[in-house]
Amino acid sequence: MFFTAITTVAITLFIVGFFLIIIYDVQGVLASVKSQVEVAVYLKDNITVELKTYLENEIKGWNEVAEVIYVSKDAALEKFKTENAGSEILKEIQGNPLPASFEIRLKSPEKVDQIALRFVAKDGSYIEGVDEVIYGQNYVQKIFSITAIAGSIAFLIIIILLLAAVVLIFNTIRLSIHSRRKEIEVMKLVGATNWFVRIPFIFEGFFEGFVGSAISAVLLYFITNYLLIKGETALADTMHIKDLAILGSSNIMLYIYVGMVIIGSLLGVLSSAFALKRYVRI
Amino acid sequence: MNMIEFKNVAKVYEDKTVALKNVNLTIKKGEFVFLVGPSGSGKSTIIKLLIREIAATSGSIFVAGRNISNLKFSRVPQLRRNIGSVFQDFKLLPNKTVFENIAFALEVIGKPSYMIKVQVPQVLKLVGLEHKLVSYPHQLSAGEQQRVSIARAFVNRPPILLADEPTGNLDPVNSDGIMKLLSRINLIGTTVAMATHDRSIVNSMRRRVIELEEGEVIRDQKRGVYGI
Repeated sequence: MFFTAITTVAITLFIVGFFLIIIYDVQGVLASVKSQVEVAVYLKDNITVELKTYLENEIKGWNEVAEVIYVSKDAALEKFKTENAGSEILKEIQGNPLPASFEIRLKSPEKVDQIALRFVAKDGSYIEGVDEVIYGQNYVQKIFSITAIAGSIAFLIIIILLLAAVVLIFNTIRLSIHSRRKEIEVMKLVGATNWFVRIPFIFEGFFEGFVGSAISAVLLYFITNYLLIKGETALADTMHIKDLAILGSSNIMLYIYVGMVIIGSLLGVLSSAFALKRYVRI
Repeated sequence: MNMIEFKNVAKVYEDKTVALKNVNLTIKKGEFVFLVGPSGSGKSTIIKLLIREIAATSGSIFVAGRNISNLKFSRVPQLRRNIGSVFQDFKLLPNKTVFENIAFALEVIGKPSYMIKVQVPQVLKLVGLEHKLVSYPHQLSAGEQQRVSIARAFVNRPPILLADEPTGNLDPVNSDGIMKLLSRINLIGTTVAMATHDRSIVNSMRRRVIELEEGEVIRDQKRGVYGI
């Protein structure tokens, strides 16, 4: 029963902690993707230097813009050659078909629609000098709504898991004490006061909670450091995401581990105390 | 002096069963009394009332002159420390050794460990189990377990020892041994009250017999036998 209680605590808290990390990471991925949203303004080949300078300064002046980078035709070609080095396609290229562009990074990615609209004239065509504006129209809005929904779902999942953990731990310890009610009866028969009977059981509950949560914290540590981080860096590479907020490697983990141990120990003590109330009343 | 007194005691359980109707009895200090009667006659109820496991529906119960009928919950442990009790199912703590089981009875009254280390072997010697200090209950025979139980009941030298069918799970030879033990304990001055079905024990010992039937005392005989 002792062993059962410890493993129950360990497993339930591990699941809660694991999900906490996964959800936090998913949120992190989504946030990173959001922050990577760029508006690419492709310029016409015949744009004048004055117009290009004018546009660049205008864009820099906008509040929503974090950064504007001008990529010249040559620079674009170089970048293309580097990214596709060794590919057949390089042989096909004659001259430089790639346009110059402004790469705009936004402070508030949600405003991306508005920014793009500024390059559209009243008649619906792009303004002078601008050939096309691309910002991943199709999936950007989806990402924003997914992020919002994901956030609420995540919160709900965590609450449910935590409740499940509490119920499971409480029941396991309660069963353990129930199965020892004869023992409690004997202790009282011999003249032990209620507190004399309670204290060893409460301490046992604390111990089971403490050891179980410590085990889950250690397990979590290993999982996050070896599995998750490897998986996350691979993910970051394939998706070309920079600065991915990987929870596993941050300092918050320490607070999570300590939090788990505190919660586990508290749950153990409270479960014992509540269960004892039923059997240690005269 | 009167060690145990029941005055017009009645006990009706929650399911309306009448366990005791109107019991009056007095047991003096140092007596050895058998409580006999068929199942359901009220023998076990008397014992439960004495250790305050249950409370009387009406009437008064006195133990060593003190009225325990309206004893506060907080004072019950103290009452039980002065009454050694032995039961048919031994009631030993399965996860503790023989030593620890008996020591527990001393720990609850706060005896220091150096005294416990002396007293426990002493009382085990009394019951002939001094070599079983570190055994666990499941490693002992039924007779040995009951002797440990008696040792625990007696270690604090309580003025009263109650036994509820102590030989119920024992063979005749072991039963005999237990009765000899209880007699010795009674000789030292302990008041002993024992509920039993065991006809041969009662008949061979010829002590005071209080016979119960359907919750009433129908016989109280000084050197009695079990019955017809």
